[in-house]
Amino acid sequence: MSDKNSSSARYFKRWTESDISVELITGVILFSILIALILFRGYFQTHDPYVGDLMERFSPMGQNGHLLGTDNLGRDLWSRLLEGMMWSISAASMATLIAFVMGAFVGLLAAQYGGWIRTILNQVVDMALAFPNLIIAIIVVAVIGRGFWPLTLTLGLVSWPIFARVIYAESLSLLERDYVIASHTFGAGTWSILSGHILPGLRPTLSVMLAFHFADMLVAESALSFLGLGAPLGVPTWGNLLQQSRDFLFVAPWLMAVPAAGIIYAVFTANLIGDGFSALARRRGRRIDI
Amino acid sequence: MKSSHVIYQLSQHQRWRVGVKAVRSLGKLIILLISITTFMFFALRMAGDPIIVLAGENASVELIEEIKKQYGFDRPLIVQYILYISNIFRLDFGESLSTGQPALSYVLSQLPATLLLAALGMAVTLAISIPAGAWLGMKPDAWGRRVMAGAVFFMQGLPGFVTALLLIQVFVVQLMWFPSLGYSQVKAWILPSISLASFLAPKLIRMISANVSEAMREEYIRTARSVGAPGWSLLWREAVPNAILGAVALIGTQFAFLFAGAVIIEVLFLWPGIGLLLFRSAQVLDFPVLQATAFIIAILVFSVNAMTNMAFEFLDPRMRRAAP
Repeated sequence: MSDKNSSSARYFKRWTESDISVELITGVILFSILIALILFRGYFQTHDPYVGDLMERFSPMGQNGHLLGTDNLGRDLWSRLLEGMMWSISAASMATLIAFVMGAFVGLLAAQYGGWIRTILNQVVDMALAFPNLIIAIIVVAVIGRGFWPLTLTLGLVSWPIFARVIYAESLSLLERDYVIASHTFGAGTWSILSGHILPGLRPTLSVMLAFHFADMLVAESALSFLGLGAPLGVPTWGNLLQQSRDFLFVAPWLMAVPAAGIIYAVFTANLIGDGFSALARRRGRRIDI
Repeated sequence: MKSSHVIYQLSQHQRWRVGVKAVRSLGKLIILLISITTFMFFALRMAGDPIIVLAGENASVELIEEIKKQYGFDRPLIVQYILYISNIFRLDFGESLSTGQPALSYVLSQLPATLLLAALGMAVTLAISIPAGAWLGMKPDAWGRRVMAGAVFFMQGLPGFVTALLLIQVFVVQLMWFPSLGYSQVKAWILPSISLASFLAPKLIRMISANVSEAMREEYIRTARSVGAPGWSLLWREAVPNAILGAVALIGTQFAFLFAGAVIIEVLFLWPGIGLLLFRSAQVLDFPVLQATAFIIAILVFSVNAMTNMAFEFLDPRMRRAAP
């Protein structure tokens, strides 16, 4: 039996008594698996994702050494899934990052400076929130063309206003807290207040928002690719895999089921993390409404 | 505890306020439409040669000349921009490159199908969410309901088009219970509306059940219960209406989303609405139609949002009384 005061026991106690929920832990573990699969996909891929063996086309799951079967050209679906995962996850992360940076910039600017800057920025955000995002994204990508940057930039550019709105509202109330006013009185500059007090104060909200936004972007990316307007044709992103599977619904249902499961897994993970963070904030006495 | 329902009349001041609000939101709509078209103007410039986009790959020389003249491509960018905007505000979006019809009337002819799908999707969503939310929220800690809440949470992670694909795979391809295409048969309406609802309902269920469980803990409910009011009447007459009221904003957002988000569902089920039109036009880069579609959808989404705001003010007695 372990000593009650041993470091591992204390560590365990800290874990169980902390506010971190089961959801958050599960979500983080599932997400780490995803990241590990992406980073070390070379070790996990059993075949070349781009080269197929026509003799083995439409192998069902588990046959001919193909874990998840093969597609119409005999390419290994498991290896293709991993290859596309990198594309899908990084596109969604990048779009989230762009939206966050733009939203944070506009939101903080509007909160920090009053007067006409705030009025104009609020009007802009109001307008941008009313944009039918997905429609605009579809049209812009259709006009500009497929590819990583067109897609991520468009998704980021149409989805930032929600960040701006929330960050603006939250930092407005943070800016009136006593400790912020105090540090202002002691001569702290705008930048140091924003980075030292406001951004850390926004952290609970932002962690929830980022997780949910990531899930949204992932769905949007796969939806656009599925429509043939997102990822370039050759890349086996999840949306593209789904798109290709449509022609073989009768012969090879697994071609659809596997990428669908991938999307569901990733979105579910992101939702778990977002919900976990918001439960965490709730237990610490903050309610986050997004 | 019975609340009397008085027919509410607006005072003169409030009527004035409503008028101001209407004018203001009309102004906002116009600015919104201008910014959307501006966005598309620049997207068009970024695409390379806008003439090819506007006239199509294999346009005749006369058509190219005509478009050049219409949009003034030989003149400075600002003049081009003004011409572009003024064309749109005369509701002249040009002609569809694939059918030759005027783009706007082409889009409007597809509108009823989309409205039908949105109404169906919303109806199914509400029909599922309200009872389920009430049931889950009544005793959120009961064992069976916890499991169901977990299932709802999982459902929330299913993108609508993935659900639709799975439904098609199971019910159309394997079991052959439903025709998958079109909307001429009522039977074909079922799967698209379920797909939409499966995406929207989980979030609404979670919100309603949270609101219900919160309302059931309120003091007036406790008091009413202690003087012997039956539980079901408290639930359905007090807690649930309150919970729905608290979810009006979300319902409005979801309704607005239906117009934009139904694109993929329409594509999957070959539902002949705006979404399918948008998809087909995007494939062949039928720019006039794309533009008219964005225009119409923006108006739809904007009016739904405006109506939600108004409904919110009108339904919540506190907000009514707040007006002097």
